[in-house]
Amino acid sequence: MHAVNNNPQLRLQLFFALLVSAIIANIFGGYFTRFFVAEIVILSIFAISLDFIASRGGMVSLGHAMFLGIGAYATAILTLNYGISPFASTFLTFIIASLIGLIIAYFIVLLDGIFFIMVTLALGEMFNSWVFTSDYLGGSDGISGIMRPDLAFIGIDTNNPLVFTFYVLLWLISIYFLLIKITDSPLGKNLDAIRQNSNRISAIGGYTKAYKAIAFSLSAGIASIAGSLYVQLNGFISPELTHWTVSGEGLIMIIVGGIGSISGAILGATVVHIVQHELSSIINWWMLVIGFGFILIVLFMKDGLWGLLEQIQKKLR
Amino acid sequence: MLLIQFLNALQFSMTLFLLAVGLTIIFGLMKIVNLAHGSLYMVGAYLGLSITNYTDSFWLALVIAPILAALIGAILYSILFKHIQNADPMKQVLLTFGLIYIALDSVRLLWGTMSHSISAPNILSNSILLVNEPYPSYRLFVIAIGLIVLFILYIILEKTKIGAKVRASVDDPETAQLLKINTDKILFYTFALGCGLAGLAGITVAPILGVEPGMDMEVLVLTLIVVVVGGPGSLKGAIIGSLLIGFVDSFGKVYIPQLAQIIIYAVMALTILFKPDGLYKR
Amino acid sequence: MSLSLNNINKSFGNIKVLNNVNIQSHSRECLGIIGPNGAGKSTLFKVISGNLKQDKGDIYFNSLNINNLNINKRARLGIAQSFQKNSLFLEMTVKESIMLALSHKYKITFKMLNSLISNKAINNDAMEIAKDTGLYDYFDTKSDNLSYGLQRQLELGIAISCSPKLLLLDEPTAGMSPAETKDIIKLIKNLSAKYSIIIVEHDMDVIYELANRIYVLDRGSLIFEGDAKAVKNSELVQNKYLGI
Repeated sequence: MHAVNNNPQLRLQLFFALLVSAIIANIFGGYFTRFFVAEIVILSIFAISLDFIASRGGMVSLGHAMFLGIGAYATAILTLNYGISPFASTFLTFIIASLIGLIIAYFIVLLDGIFFIMVTLALGEMFNSWVFTSDYLGGSDGISGIMRPDLAFIGIDTNNPLVFTFYVLLWLISIYFLLIKITDSPLGKNLDAIRQNSNRISAIGGYTKAYKAIAFSLSAGIASIAGSLYVQLNGFISPELTHWTVSGEGLIMIIVGGIGSISGAILGATVVHIVQHELSSIINWWMLVIGFGFILIVLFMKDGLWGLLEQIQKKLR
Repeated sequence: MLLIQFLNALQFSMTLFLLAVGLTIIFGLMKIVNLAHGSLYMVGAYLGLSITNYTDSFWLALVIAPILAALIGAILYSILFKHIQNADPMKQVLLTFGLIYIALDSVRLLWGTMSHSISAPNILSNSILLVNEPYPSYRLFVIAIGLIVLFILYIILEKTKIGAKVRASVDDPETAQLLKINTDKILFYTFALGCGLAGLAGITVAPILGVEPGMDMEVLVLTLIVVVVGGPGSLKGAIIGSLLIGFVDSFGKVYIPQLAQIIIYAVMALTILFKPDGLYKR
Repeated sequence: MSLSLNNINKSFGNIKVLNNVNIQSHSRECLGIIGPNGAGKSTLFKVISGNLKQDKGDIYFNSLNINNLNINKRARLGIAQSFQKNSLFLEMTVKESIMLALSHKYKITFKMLNSLISNKAINNDAMEIAKDTGLYDYFDTKSDNLSYGLQRQLELGIAISCSPKLLLLDEPTAGMSPAETKDIIKLIKNLSAKYSIIIVEHDMDVIYELANRIYVLDRGSLIFEGDAKAVKNSELVQNKYLGI
């Protein structure tokens, strides 16, 4: 599986460019723009979680929406049924989802890439049907009434869209730099090597299964943070969040952005979400267009938009 | 009552089989999983719907829809898969994923988003008395179709020259290529056949389950599990896997609805743990 | 270091590929295993490295029975292998590949928050290994951009990164030009001063230059054991190799 992996300079530049754009849009935009930016930020976190296991470990998951769901539903239940603060519940859902991810990883992490896609798709769909039919989780109606963190004690009102968008941006920034560190660490490098040649890592005594399981577990946790923040953004959750199209959208985002650079995933999330939003307001058949676009990118732009940026950077040298 | 459940499970298994066998042979030969397989199932059902509405004949639809689905498969192979045969398998799988989106919206554009139904043909609209219980004869028909296809495929694979070529290409593609078994032609026909079978499954089951967008993914998941459990590339694995998953799902939903899904998960998990290549390796 | 193969038997279906093979190897020697095509050299290699499991017989490494240990576990015991067909990390540079392999020697592969590339100790160690394997001038070259001969050298470099107690080399000169072969022979000669080596080779001249002791395999059975001189003078061996 192909991924980009070696341009820390561009990676940081792209990240800052996107960050600055988000901040500007947030400050100067209206209500809807701020909401939209928050959505993009949360989707970026989801995309990063997918990008991480695809480029580090060679695991392409089509079922990750289930971790979005775990994050969202767990947050709803923890805040509404147990009175835990939204902020704390985001952390708690990270732990819960990571543990579930670890258990699942034990079974699936050594599967060949294509089997892995099939199995994660199946798992995601099964989670989706369970959530749809579960009365405890509100069935097809979902759950509503979830609150945002209460930061009144420092004079901040998170119900203000400007504030909340900055709040989720902080999460994105933290997750981003954490993953950069991990990517450059011995574990991250070994995961990258596993994607390229997992047999050799075994031959030099590596704990291949353990490394991949850690990566998958971490990825699950990060996806659940996205889910937790998503439900706080909207105030409600519907089971559609765990539909396969959400996992699919994530996959499209990282392919469009270019797998491997983390910043690319954020770029992909931004572009895809904007395109989808604009398209769906003009035509009904936007999925058709996205499907075609996706196929074209898979065929002709193997490094996605990141690849384009790298080429531009080369030309400017 | 038990007989009824048994027959329902068998009918469901046969439907799964029609889907799984196409998917597994494509997987075995091309080393890729066609995620758009469910889409072809859906397209088969919709094409069947239109043909039935236009010609008032279900039988015509039953014959033509799969052929059209096979044609679509042939076109897809020729313009897309043929040219990226040597590319990273993951790339090819991603392409099939993109096709799902295209198929879904195409169906919605052409037929709308409502669900439709097709009536079974008159001869099969009645019930037959089995051990004093009435049982819809259409479901028996579906079982029969499945068994016939199984039989035909078995004969082709085991007793004909072209079947031998297919088996050779699955078992050892490099040698097959060296022996000039014309693998490309085999891939073409097999891919088309697999798609045709998916279409057949769609039109066959349409009178029972109806026709709606979204039917592509519901069935894909169980089909994938059948292929994972049964073993990619194996006809035996496809039928055994279909029976196993079909029966667990059907009986599970009736007697222990809460646990049915978990049991299927468990079957898949156990297979992955102990026989990661599936029950029957081709 | 001691490696002991006792009565190793292996069949594939009806074909007996290894027939009561007995091999002993000691520290600081370069042991060669040769034989004509189909002799079972590859199979024997894979049985030692852990890629295949024998049907009958035992393998002892430093007095430990390793029959049931897989590749990972044997590697951690100190058995390193280099592959006949290059098994590299093509997107990584020479430096990155070796430092990656070293992360296992230094046992830091679970560390998540420190940069690997910035680690000075590992960087220096990697430079040493690059020097030992003739790759110092290509330290920052991507593996994919190396010539075939240099890739074979990197193949060795990754294998020795873990300071192995036993180094297994599977046809190290496979596919090489005479010039490249000369380079690699020199390299392995230097390595044999530091490591215990077992080489499986098809090219007899390479083995004569490198090995202290040689086992000759023919159709699954050991037919001769001795040093290079003895093997060269053995009529039995020459007959078997006639026409090859």
